[in-house]
Amino acid sequence: MSVVATAPSRPRAGAGQDRVRQDRTGRPRATGTLLALPALVWYLLFTLGPLLAMVWISALKWPGMLQPTSFAGLDNFRYVLSDPLFWDAARNTGVQLLVALPLMVLPAYMLGYYVSRRPRGHHILRYLLFVPGLISAPTKAMLFYAVLSPDGVVNGALKSLGLGGLAHVWLADSATALASIIAIDVWSGIGFTAVLFAARLGAVPEEIGEAASLDGAGHWRRMWRIHFPVIRDYVGVVTMLQFLWTLFGSAQLVLLLTQGGPGSASTTLSFLVYQKAFIQADLGYSQAVGVLLFAVGLVGMLAIRRALRQNY
Amino acid sequence: MTSSTRTASSTPTAPRVAPGPGGAAPAAGRRRPIAWAWLPAHALAWVYAAMLTVPLYYFLVSAFKTNDEIFSDPLGLPSSLSLDKFSTALHGARLELAVANSALVTFSALVLTLCLAVPAAFAIARSRSRWAAVTERVFGLGFLVPTFAALLPTFLMSAYSGLFHTRLFIVLLLPATAMPLSVIILTQFMRTIPPEMEEAARIDGATTFGVLRHVYAPMAMPGIATVLLLNFLNFWNEYLYSLIIIGPDQAQRTIQVALPTLRSTAGTDYGVLTAGTVLTLVPVWIAYTLLQRRMQQALVSGAVKL
Repeated sequence: MSVVATAPSRPRAGAGQDRVRQDRTGRPRATGTLLALPALVWYLLFTLGPLLAMVWISALKWPGMLQPTSFAGLDNFRYVLSDPLFWDAARNTGVQLLVALPLMVLPAYMLGYYVSRRPRGHHILRYLLFVPGLISAPTKAMLFYAVLSPDGVVNGALKSLGLGGLAHVWLADSATALASIIAIDVWSGIGFTAVLFAARLGAVPEEIGEAASLDGAGHWRRMWRIHFPVIRDYVGVVTMLQFLWTLFGSAQLVLLLTQGGPGSASTTLSFLVYQKAFIQADLGYSQAVGVLLFAVGLVGMLAIRRALRQNY
Repeated sequence: MTSSTRTASSTPTAPRVAPGPGGAAPAAGRRRPIAWAWLPAHALAWVYAAMLTVPLYYFLVSAFKTNDEIFSDPLGLPSSLSLDKFSTALHGARLELAVANSALVTFSALVLTLCLAVPAAFAIARSRSRWAAVTERVFGLGFLVPTFAALLPTFLMSAYSGLFHTRLFIVLLLPATAMPLSVIILTQFMRTIPPEMEEAARIDGATTFGVLRHVYAPMAMPGIATVLLLNFLNFWNEYLYSLIIIGPDQAQRTIQVALPTLRSTAGTDYGVLTAGTVLTLVPVWIAYTLLQRRMQQALVSGAVKL
C-alpha cells in the first residue's frame, strides 16, 4: 500500500526539493520529508488495508471464521438484496436518519445561536452542553439502561404524573425500541452539535446582526435569514458529520441495549454488519452489507454537502 | 435570501453602528421589547440542560442506594454516603483491573500517536515538495474512511498477526485511527513557526532532529496539548474494537468493555452498575473540568478540521 502511495510522487519529490533548495539556504531536506513516512504507512496499513479487504471478503462465500472459503462473485449481494432482514434494517436506518438528523441539527442550531448571544448563564450552559460529547457509548448505554428500565426514572415519572398507563418496557417493546435508540442519539447529539454551532456563530462579525436589527429584524428573522445563510456551508459540514456518526455509529448503542430486537425492530444496517460477522458468522454477507453501507455513506455525504453548499 | 446577502455585504460601509459600551453585549439587552420574547428560548435551553443533568444526577445518587431505594425514590438523596457500591464494583467485578488496562492502553497509544504524528507534521509543515502535499491530502481525506466499516477485516488482521486477544494490537491500531486529525492539527500549528527560527538553530549546528526537538516541538505545544486531549477522550472511550479484539478476559479487558458486564439478567444491582459508570467518568470529568476551554476547542477543531 505504501508503495502505491509513494511511487508516483517520487520523481516529483526530487523536483520539489530542488525548488526548495533554490528558495532557501541550501540545506538538505530529504531526511526531513521522510519523517512523514511512518505515519502515512501506519495509517494506510490500518485503514485502507482493511477497507480493501472488506470489498474482497464481500465476494467470498465464508460461512464461519474457521471454515474454508470459496469465491462467490456477486452472490452475497444478490442474497443480501433479496433478504427481508436487510430491508428491515435499511428501513430502520432510513427512519433513524430522517428522524434523528432534523431533530438534532435544527434545535442544535437554535441552541447554538442562543448560546452565542451570551445570555445570562451561558458559561454554565456551555459546560453542560458539552457533557454528552465526553461520555462513551457504554456509559451512555448504561445510563439509559437504568433510566429506561421498567423501574427507571421515565416510568417512575409517568406513574407519579398519573400516566402509569403510558409506562413501557421501553427497550424490549418493538413499538418503542428503535424510537428509544433514536431518542438517546438526539439527547446526546443536540448538545455537542450546539457547541459546534455556537463556536462558529461566535465568529460571525457582530455588525451583520447589528445592521439587521436596525432594519427591525427580530432574533428569529436574524437567526434564519442572516446568520443561517452566512454559515450555511458549516451547517452542511455538521450535518454530514452527524449523518456519518448516526449511520456508522448506531451499532454500538443497538448492541448494548436491544441487540437489534425484539425481532428485527431495532436492527440498523451497521448493527447488521456486526451481527452477521460476530454473532451469526456469515462473513461474506456481513461484508457485502458493509460495502453497501459504505456506498450509502459516500453518496449521502456528497448529497448533504451539495444541498447545503454556500450559495452566494 | 438575496436581501440578507445584500445586508451582509453592506455592513462594512456602515461603521456608525459601533458596538455599545459592553462591546460584545447582546442585542437583547439593548432592545427592551425583545427581552420577554426571549422567554421561550431561555426556557427551552434550560429544559434541555435539565434533561442533560437529571440522568447524571440520578446516576450519582443511585451509586449510594440499594435497588429498593432506587426504584421507590429515584431522584431522592441517598440516606448514607457509604462507598460499598464502589468497592463492590472495583473489587467484586474486578473493575480496578479494567481501569488499569484502560489507562495502560490509552497512555501507550497516546505516546505512539505523538511519536508518529509530530515528525509527520514537522515534515509536512516544512516541506514544499509535491509528495508532502500529497501526504497532507491523504490525511485530509481521512474522514472518508469510517473506522467502523472495517471492523471485521481489522479483527481478521489481529487474528492473522497473532495479536488476537492482546492489548498490544489495540495500542497499535488506535494511533492509526487518530493519525489524520492529529497530523492536520499539528501541521497547522507548525506552519505558524517562522523559518528563521530553524535557520538560527542550523547556524548553531542543529541537526534536523535537533530542530524538531528544540524548535518545533516546544513551539507547537498548544497543538500537542490539543491532540493529546482529543485522543485521550477517543482512546479512553473506545468500545467496539476493544470488545472484539481484546475480548472479555478480566485480566486484559478495558473499562468500557467491563462496564456493560455489570448488568445481569438475574437482576442487576443498579447501585453497583451506576457506581461503576461513575468511576469510568471520573478521569474524563476531571480532565474536562480542569481544561474545559481547551477541551472544547479541541473537540470543536476535531469535528471541523476534517
